[in-house]
Amino acid sequence: MTSNEIISNLERLEADFESAIRPLGDEQAIRVAQAQYLGKTGRVSELMKELRTLPAADKPAVGAAANKVKQTIEQLVTTALDGITKAAQQADLQRRVDVTLPARPIGGGRLHLLTQVRLEAVQIFAELGFVVAEGPQIETDWHNFEALGIPKDHAARDMQDTFFISDEILLRSHTSPVQIRTMQTQKPPIRIVAPGQVYRRDDDPTHSPMFTQLEGLAVDTDISFGDLKGTLLHFVKRFFKQDLGIRLRPSYFQFTEPSAEVDMQCTFCGGPGCRLCKQTGWLEIGGSGMVDPVVFEHVGIDPERYTGFAFGMGLERMAMLRHAVTDIKYYYEGDVRFLEQF
Amino acid sequence: MRVLWSWLLELCDLDRQITPEQGAAALTRGGLEIEGIEALGTGFSGVVVAEVVAKRPHPDAAKLTLVDVITERGGAATQVVCGASNVPEPGLKVLWAQIGATLPGNITLAAKPVKGIVSPGMLCAEDELGLGDDHAGIVVLEAGDPTPLGAPAQHALGLADHVLELSAPANRGDVLGLFGVARELVAVLGGCVVPPDAELAGFLSAGGAPTKIDIADPALCARYTARVIEGVTVAPSPRRIAQRLRAVGVRAISNLVDVTNYVLFELGQPLHAFDANTLKAGTIRVTAARDTESLVTLDGAQRALVPGDIVIRDGDRIVALAGVMGGRDTEVTAGTTRVLLESASFQPLAIRRTAKRLALPSEASLRFSRGVDPELAAFASARAARLLCQLAGGRIAGELADAYPAKRAVAPVHVRLPRVKLITGVALDANACTGALERLGCAVSPAGDGLAVTPPSWRVDLTREVDMIEEILRISGYEQVQSTLPALRQAPGIHDADRADLARHALAAAGALEAITYGFQSAERANALGLPGSDRRSQPIAIKNPMSGEQAVMRTSLVPNLGAAIARNQSFGRRDVCLFEVGSVFLKRGEGATERPMHELADEPVWAAGVLAGKRRGRIGDGAPYDAFDAKALALEAIRAVAGTLDVRTEVAAVPYLHPGVAGALVVDRSALTSDIDVPTIGSRGIVGWFGELHPDVRARLGIDGPAFAFEVHLDALPLAPPPAMQAIPKYPGSDRDVSLLLAESIPAARVEQVIDDAAEPLVAGIRLLEDYRDAKLGAGNKSMLWSIAYRSPERTLTVAEVDHAHERIVRRLVAELPAQQR
Repeated sequence: MTSNEIISNLERLEADFESAIRPLGDEQAIRVAQAQYLGKTGRVSELMKELRTLPAADKPAVGAAANKVKQTIEQLVTTALDGITKAAQQADLQRRVDVTLPARPIGGGRLHLLTQVRLEAVQIFAELGFVVAEGPQIETDWHNFEALGIPKDHAARDMQDTFFISDEILLRSHTSPVQIRTMQTQKPPIRIVAPGQVYRRDDDPTHSPMFTQLEGLAVDTDISFGDLKGTLLHFVKRFFKQDLGIRLRPSYFQFTEPSAEVDMQCTFCGGPGCRLCKQTGWLEIGGSGMVDPVVFEHVGIDPERYTGFAFGMGLERMAMLRHAVTDIKYYYEGDVRFLEQF
Repeated sequence: MRVLWSWLLELCDLDRQITPEQGAAALTRGGLEIEGIEALGTGFSGVVVAEVVAKRPHPDAAKLTLVDVITERGGAATQVVCGASNVPEPGLKVLWAQIGATLPGNITLAAKPVKGIVSPGMLCAEDELGLGDDHAGIVVLEAGDPTPLGAPAQHALGLADHVLELSAPANRGDVLGLFGVARELVAVLGGCVVPPDAELAGFLSAGGAPTKIDIADPALCARYTARVIEGVTVAPSPRRIAQRLRAVGVRAISNLVDVTNYVLFELGQPLHAFDANTLKAGTIRVTAARDTESLVTLDGAQRALVPGDIVIRDGDRIVALAGVMGGRDTEVTAGTTRVLLESASFQPLAIRRTAKRLALPSEASLRFSRGVDPELAAFASARAARLLCQLAGGRIAGELADAYPAKRAVAPVHVRLPRVKLITGVALDANACTGALERLGCAVSPAGDGLAVTPPSWRVDLTREVDMIEEILRISGYEQVQSTLPALRQAPGIHDADRADLARHALAAAGALEAITYGFQSAERANALGLPGSDRRSQPIAIKNPMSGEQAVMRTSLVPNLGAAIARNQSFGRRDVCLFEVGSVFLKRGEGATERPMHELADEPVWAAGVLAGKRRGRIGDGAPYDAFDAKALALEAIRAVAGTLDVRTEVAAVPYLHPGVAGALVVDRSALTSDIDVPTIGSRGIVGWFGELHPDVRARLGIDGPAFAFEVHLDALPLAPPPAMQAIPKYPGSDRDVSLLLAESIPAARVEQVIDDAAEPLVAGIRLLEDYRDAKLGAGNKSMLWSIAYRSPERTLTVAEVDHAHERIVRRLVAELPAQQR
């Protein structure tokens, strides 16, 4: 063949290939067709065997034509493959899923509301440098009462009807014994909060025989009643996420002097009075006061050198006020209809 | 204590007029909490005061009377039909419920004929107005009653009034009388108190020698006074006295008894009236009771006495249990003509113990056990004597007999002004402090850097500087305290993470719902796990004074309460439940704890536990049923949260409360565990938890329907993992080899893992079970397992030959040691 014949054959191969792959719809068939033209024994290679019969002067032109054909065929392959990919993608894009079907259930676990409230309360007090302290739930009469200035037969014991295990051992009726245990083992300055379960012989919609108190204690050379008020005010604002005021109201606890009930502005009406706050505008949230010198003497802290404040509040009540829980018993029944809400 | 508003106002002269609400707010602000305000007389309306102007019999009914009444002087009379037998003569006032009146029991009056004559309303008896059970006749006001005609009946009945519910602090016995409350009100609002009339002039008669009083021990009785009133006539009290007593919660009985109650509420001084004619010895003795003595009290009960009781003796004969209850033989009766009136102050603790031991709480013992001011005794006696003379027509015979062996010397308390500032945070000067204390009746004088303060006799609670500081702040107003924050003086220090909270977060994140259940439970529930008697957990700590059987013992495991919660959820249709709890269980200390009373604290280890029943949540329709491996997964999550990468193995175990074929123990190397915690062991490994299917007997005891699965993990035994250090991310690819084994069904998967582990091939990076297949075709008692073992080196890409050789060695060991056949 002449060089011109070879070149025109090459050009025909190009046209042949183009029409050969046009109907092909999958990658594998296209690769087979590509091999039939460009493989070692493919039709382009066969034609190129003629090259050596040509005069040297003709070879570059034929070689150039052959390269062009190879490039064109490869281009055609790439285009065809792209087309297939695009078509497949196009087809996939026609898929329609009912996205309004239910989500796959994941998680579903919850921390108990009281756990959430406790963790949050502890966190808030941690901001003021308070650390968590703990003590046993089964306590000695001495830690629970006597060290707090409440001797046996004292009228103040009527305030807390206590579960006893024996004459000297009881279920703690408040978290205040943790104050005693802390002050027995640590020297001031002291800043602790003690959350924990406590027990009283009491059972109605707002009282449960077991409930959770959070005790706070600060002892230092210059702790004042104002510090107590500021600390509780900080807590109330952070916990209820509202700019609520608090008021301290004179009260009596054996282990604090002066003592105060702590009221906060009603979370529901904010002051004018409603059913929740019994029209007073205030909600009682706990007891507090300055540590009584008697308590310091029991634990060997010099009441002339140190002063301190202590407070206690019920976490059930905090959660009730913030989350509108209507009956204290819900906390302890393990009712999933309650637990899964928070 | 119920505080009748009009009675309280009678005892003070305030600087300004206030409403009951304002009074309640002032008392509450001062520290006497008013828990509620009750408006009296709201039970009826439309009942008015009317005067009878004429009466005549009903023509057709002998028992009925036609009564003409008027509601304004000179107004037209209205004829009312009345069935009572005590219709008064014209000129006296009655209470007329007019048409439209509402009465207790949701009654609204309409005109209706009575035996043919229409009656526009009715004349009322007490019970018809909800004022007690007296239906003996209609209410007839006393002659000269000042209530104007036509006024609401509430005005005539003392019901246009309010009662404040006062919660008295345990240290304030002095406010258990209205006069003490009046003192507080005056201290807060300004004004002065008005003592009730105790003037005896005009009621005195010569009388005989005063009663002799002998107090054996001044510690038991600081003061005892006695006074004889002669010539009394027992009769019902006037309406005004009875109404006041009713308002504060006491039934009127007779003038003699009512006067003692009246003065008790008015002044806070309990009194006792003896029938003086029953006292023979001429000497009243106050002593401690002797063992074996007893007294028949006025309720008719025979009371055995103990040496701690204080008794009143007529000579040697016991006639009263001091401060608690009088004796039957000497009580006043309808025929009493001479009264011996006791007004005394007894030791609070003794009264409290006696009243508690005999379960005889009373208004008197309540006050004595809080402490009654001995200084009050003579005044209260005079007040009561005056009332007895007025109401029962008595005369006072002779002088007051007054034994006062323990007059309290009140020492002044030194109050340092800088200390006031330090504790309250409020700068109060000497004038402010003095003013506040003087309002409370303290005597104050300057002394050095502060004040010398002498409290009044009735404030026995004020003995220390800090007590005075509280009073200064209380009267100055707690609202003066400004909010400050305590200085941060100390870093929080190093604190271990809390195991319980780590486990809670992990279990909630794993999809379980946290429950919190009571620390106590019923004995039946405590026994529900069916643990052997030798198990420490089968000897729970008992509560001495439970309110109900639900609080009999402290829990020794978290599982029973959780199981019962599952049953409860099932009862209202929630059958698919996965609950966990993290908390303390309570165990007697030491081995073999017995029934002896506990004298030491308990062990309170913290455990995590869970119970699951029903199905997992599905996307559409139900998910797969829970099984033991869900329980195992949660247990491992709890362990991982606390102990990190600690190597935990599973052993097939016999656990009494779990199904014998579906129970596992989670074990770790004993040396890894918290050393001071005792755990059961299997070989060199300590058990830190169990999981499996609840035994059907346990399910039945807890009321659970259908299979349920449980786990327990002893969190306190687990070592707290340090913060994890990052492990290098593999740089080179690994390769996997599978091995299919035919082996006996009885060989647990853990054994296969153990053999691979024991081979200690350094290239093994992990193993995974791909198939656990059981089929009859495999031969009886056989199973097939397909394991995949991953091989990897951190230093290079492994060659095929290296991997094949390592795998070969492992397969050979599996075949030989399990034993198994390679398939």
